[in-house]
Amino acid sequence: MRFEAVRAIYENGLKNNSLWFINGDLGHMKTEEFRRDFGARYINGGMSEQNIIGVSAGLALSGMQVVAYSIVPFITLRCIEQIKIDICDQNLNVIVLGVGGGFAYGSAGATHYSIEELAMLRALPNMKIVCPADPPETYSLMKQVLELGGPAYVRIGRGKEPNLPVQIPAALGKASVLREGGDITIVSQGTIVSEALRAAEILSAEGLEVEVANMHTLKPIDREFLLDRAGKRRGIFTLEEHSVIGGLGSAVAEVLMDSDNRPKKFHSFGVDDFWPETVGSQQYLRDVCNISAEKVAGSISRILAA
Amino acid sequence: MPAAPEKILELKSQAKLTRRKIVEIIYRAKSSHVGSALSAADIITSLYFGGVMRVDPHHPKKEGRDKLVLSKGHAVSAVYATLGFFGFFPIEKLEEYGRDGTKLASHVVLDVLPGLETSNGSGGHGLPLGAGMALAAKQKGEDSRIFVLSGDGEMEEGSVWEALLFAGHHQLSNLTLIIDRNYLQDGMSGLRTNQILDIDPLDEKLRAFRWEVESVNGHDFDELISALENKSDKPRAIIANTLKGKGVSFMENRGEWHGKCPDAEQYEVAIKELS
Repeated sequence: MRFEAVRAIYENGLKNNSLWFINGDLGHMKTEEFRRDFGARYINGGMSEQNIIGVSAGLALSGMQVVAYSIVPFITLRCIEQIKIDICDQNLNVIVLGVGGGFAYGSAGATHYSIEELAMLRALPNMKIVCPADPPETYSLMKQVLELGGPAYVRIGRGKEPNLPVQIPAALGKASVLREGGDITIVSQGTIVSEALRAAEILSAEGLEVEVANMHTLKPIDREFLLDRAGKRRGIFTLEEHSVIGGLGSAVAEVLMDSDNRPKKFHSFGVDDFWPETVGSQQYLRDVCNISAEKVAGSISRILAA
Repeated sequence: MPAAPEKILELKSQAKLTRRKIVEIIYRAKSSHVGSALSAADIITSLYFGGVMRVDPHHPKKEGRDKLVLSKGHAVSAVYATLGFFGFFPIEKLEEYGRDGTKLASHVVLDVLPGLETSNGSGGHGLPLGAGMALAAKQKGEDSRIFVLSGDGEMEEGSVWEALLFAGHHQLSNLTLIIDRNYLQDGMSGLRTNQILDIDPLDEKLRAFRWEVESVNGHDFDELISALENKSDKPRAIIANTLKGKGVSFMENRGEWHGKCPDAEQYEVAIKELS
């Protein structure tokens, strides 16, 4: 996903002399091309995220568009006040690109996990938030975000995530229905959409008709889609690789609870306000946090039976 | 070249007007940071009325203009008054300051008045912004200069040192950092900056970060203007030694005037001293 995001930036920057790419000391496979073709507009700012965000804002105040890029916790929480004041309060054309959403850096521990940043960034006025699910969607949404402009945050996986089995063209701000089904809807985003699709398969084998929606745009969220489904389904479920506090589940609940069309059953699957005590692969950690396909399918069955 | 004596007199008179306006609007608004604004008043007067900054009050967004980033955003009353007197907007506009429903905050906010270039108020944000502006100006081939005005307490923020490192590394010769060095930060502690978290030797540290450094009397227009006009192939830092509360005898060098607002009696005395 990193490659696709960077390719989108590179292509735009060839045509647009005001696009800058500031990298917080993180490789991306196209370093030589950026050096050659972006010149001064490509900077490795080193390990200084507060400065990188401030410099990005200063460039944007001078009419530039900037993508600031590093590993999620470093380029978001480390410099959250700079994102709040310098970018969002001044409403500037800066796109924060975070690599390694959720447990993508599974063996690295809590320093490298990102299961909190969406809650904080979602609370910032003017901020748009996008979490693509696979490489083609990363390329497409990155292009759309560059077109729309910042303030924006794009959260991607770490490396060579597989393409989803279903490919639907993504439109910023609109949920993509990846699988049809009339009984329940699972709303998901990011690379864990693949688990939502597998959970749907498991539940389908048990006779349940499961719709899976990819809510790649967390903010502004597709209210129309949610309100439409709420009255039509036996249950609405959300699945995210993030804390259950403040992310997709919260955003969906905010929309549904504020409507007359509340679903009969609702549950938000995410990390339940803890850091795993053990480390391991992304798949292992999803299982530990009860957000793997098997765990989610089991929980949904129990909730619907209750 | 030293400024002509008449020019110095003119600047002194302007700075006094600015100080009086600062005290007036802060008193009326029951606001704070009067000491911080008075500390920086001569620096800001030098930048605008001293002819250092190339800005056009009738075209505040003119491409290629010089820019002031007020990193010590709490001293905004000094910038409000200066921009008003300089013709960016009618000075009467400042009567709104402190009233409910206006946009004139007690920290600088981007574009709420013509001539305000950034939003600042939390320490340590201004220098990175200034570095970004300086980079942009260089890439565009503009010869505009970026001035960042910082407090000395603010120099304790880590983000300032990240930006110092960055600007030195990228040789941002169009960037000038002015440090309003009054040695007072937290008003109520009674402690000076070097007793709280000592940043000295500041000049040596800045030089080690590949900046050119000059120390001046921050209330001497000759020294200030000459230092502000100097150029180099490196980013420049001007340590402006100042007195917090400068111009009002009972506020001078007194930390509590960071956060206090004068009462009616103090206001009368202050205005008299500034008349």
